[in-house]
Parts: sequence; structure tokens; C-alpha cells
Amino acid sequence: MTRKKVKLAYITNDSARKATYKKRKKGLMKKVSELSTLCGIEACAIIYSPYESQPEVWPSPVGVQRVLSEFKKLPEMEQSKKMVNQESFLRQRIAKANEQLKKQCKDNREKEMTQVLFQNLTGKGLHNLNMMDLNDLGWLIEQNLKDINKRVDTLTKASHSQGSAAASSATMVTPEAKPKRGEKVQAGRSGIEANMDTMQRQQWIMDLMNPQDHVGFGGNEMMLPFGDNNHNALWSNAFFPWEK
Amino acid sequence: MMQKNPIQGRQKLAMKKIAKKNNLQVTFSKRRAGLFKKASELCTLCGVDVAIIVFSPAGKVFSFGHPQVESTIDRFFSRNPCLHSSNTHKLVEAHRNANIQELNAQLAQLLDMLEVEKRKGEAFEEIREAGRRKCWWQAPIDELGLNELQQLRIALEELKRNVTKQGNQVLVDSSHCWPFLAANGIGGGVFPFGNEGYEMDPASSITQMYKFGHQGLF
Repeated sequence: MTRKKVKLAYITNDSARKATYKKRKKGLMKKVSELSTLCGIEACAIIYSPYESQPEVWPSPVGVQRVLSEFKKLPEMEQSKKMVNQESFLRQRIAKANEQLKKQCKDNREKEMTQVLFQNLTGKGLHNLNMMDLNDLGWLIEQNLKDINKRVDTLTKASHSQGSAAASSATMVTPEAKPKRGEKVQAGRSGIEANMDTMQRQQWIMDLMNPQDHVGFGGNEMMLPFGDNNHNALWSNAFFPWEK
Repeated sequence: MMQKNPIQGRQKLAMKKIAKKNNLQVTFSKRRAGLFKKASELCTLCGVDVAIIVFSPAGKVFSFGHPQVESTIDRFFSRNPCLHSSNTHKLVEAHRNANIQELNAQLAQLLDMLEVEKRKGEAFEEIREAGRRKCWWQAPIDELGLNELQQLRIALEELKRNVTKQGNQVLVDSSHCWPFLAANGIGGGVFPFGNEGYEMDPASSITQMYKFGHQGLF
């Protein structure tokens, strides 16, 4: 293996060029041979150099003849379909690299925006974002909301088919919780912005800033949380009075 | 090359026909491309003429030639190793080589940029993983419970309102007239060798938060 990266340009030094030619020609022939063996396919290589009067070939002059006649037997279109020279080969690789780059940039942008989204959930300001960022952030929020809604639908459907056990325990809590919950959540929803200016918001941020381990959930998160599992509530418990 | 998957990557390969059809096809694709790449390099570095013909496992034929497959094959058939070396021919060749050099440079630049972006992506993944462990709302949506989802939804809707508000504020403040919430989707980029979509803003201030050794995305 080379120790230094070779610049991809014609080697002007005659002896260096000849040495490189010998090595790389040998390597190329080896690669053709390997390809043929590993994949069980026919192939041939022809190399004309200024150093030999006759071309260097693989597998052998007879072998080359054989492959070439097979090649020539094919219709003209079939022959040229996957035919390339340096220029067209390079253009193909450039196009592919371009596509990969575009995709990677798009993915990275989404990842970047996801971090911005998370930071803004904990109250970091939107002030240092320009229009492009806000636009992309808005789109990402939309996507997340779509996914959440879909997931909520799936979970609620599943919980409805849970059975009587769930129903009875739910009714234990709901009669009491319902009126309170109804109005509190209403108040909560509409009063969110108002409440955000109060201490509630500080409480909320405190909760978020306090990194606690995500409590694993079993199968019972589909039910109303008249239990214990919301240590990491986004909202302060004022909005969910039925919790302890 | 970093090896992510201990199963894949550089392995010692037995020099015989590959048993699994899928692996065989993949190997063929990769090695064929590699072979043509090596041939192309040989041509550039040493100024030689080549022709390589390869039949695929499916029976399709691939060929690489410099300067062209056809001319090199004909040269072989005619058993005439001598090339015309007229002045016109030399000029054509000089043009061709200059073109190739440019394309090689383009490709090298693209590959460098791709590498940078890949590393950036990996770094983002690390940040995401760390975040997931700390904050429950950063977990994938599928892992969240109903109550968490509802809370998260409320928080996101609030944030959306704030974004809209801020967006309108920016509009008011600035003298530009950009259509807010234009066509959906994350911004596309401007790429040196092809264009699609609108320009990703290199002044995006948040890219400064992630210092990867270059300004902005380009």
C-alpha cells in the first residue's frame, strides 16, 4: 500500500511513470482475474503501453479473442448501453456523489433542526433563528405532530379494546375527575399562554431541566395516569389534578 | 475505513465463485466499479490506452475504454499496435485530458464534502443518543406512552404558535418579502454541480452551534 496519496495526474517523471505502470498494470490484471473467478463471469482486459509493442492482455490473447467475439455478437445497442470512457465514467460518479451529498445534507438538516426543536421545548429562545430556520422548524414540528397523532390514534384504539377491567377502574376515577379535568384542561389549553408567564412556567422548566431517567412503561400507559408514572411531566401538576 | 459491523467489511475472501447469489451480485457491482476506477487511474497516471470488457452474472455487458472501447478493440483486431500521431490527434487528446482533469477535481471535491457531511451526521447521532437517555420527550415517538404523547403534543403546538409568531416578527422587522411557510419540506441546498430547490441559508446561525471545522454547510 502506498504511504502517500498519489495526485491523479500524468506522471511526468519517466522512471516513476514506468514503475507506476508496472505495478498498477499488475494490480489491474489481478483485479480482473478476481472478478472473473469470484463472480463466475467472462471478462478481458487490453492495455497498450509505450513500453511494449504488443498489448498486455488478460486472460490470454486467445481468451481475449473469445470474449471480444462474444461482445461483438451482441446488438449494437447492447454493446454501447453500459459502455463508458473516462469522461462518461467520471460524470456517472459525479452524479452519484452529488445525489449522496444532497441526501446527506438533507438528513443532517433534519437532525440539526431536531436538536433546535428539543432545545426550544425547554425554553431556549427562537430569536437567533432566521426565516429559513423557522420555516424548517415549523415543518419539522408539523411532521412530529402528525406522527404523534397517528400514534395516539393507534394507542387509543388499542385501549378501547382492552376489556372490562380497564373500564371499571377508569370509571372509578373519572366521575370525580371528569368535571374538574374538563374545565382544567380547557383552562389549561386556553390559559397556557397566560400561565406561561407565571411561576408555572418556571416549574415546568425546572421539571425539564431536571434530567431524570425515562421510566420504562409497561402496557398500561394507555390508561389515564391515575398512577404514578409521570415524574417528568412537561406541565406542572396543576394541570392534572387527579395525579397525586 | 471504520468498521461498524463486525460481520461486514474487510474479510479474507476465498478465491472461488461466491456461493450466495445476492452476495455475488453485490460483489460484482462493487468490484466492477472498482476495476473501472483503477483502469481510469492507470490511464490518467501513465497515459496508456485500455479496454476492459466484463459480462455481468445476469448476462449484461459492461465496458470501459480509453480513449474509447471501440477504437481500442479495433486496434487489437487489426493487430496494429501503432497509433496515428497527427497534430490534430494530439490536440484532441490534450483537450480530452484537460477535461478529465477538471472532472477528477470536481469528483474529489464532492467526495470530500460528502465525507464532511457524513461525519457531521454521525456527530448529530451521538448528540441524539445522549439526549434520548436524558430526556423522555426525545425518545422515538413509538416508545412514548399515551400520556407522554399528549403532553408532548401540547408542548409542540405551543412551540408551533411561537414559531409562527416569531416568523411574523421577523417578516415585520426585515425589509425582505419572503413567502413565509412556502412550499413544504426542509430546505434544499445549492450544490456546485447541479441545482434543485432553493438556497439553504449559509447565514443560518444555528449551524454555528455545531462546530465542525467549517462555516455553515458549505
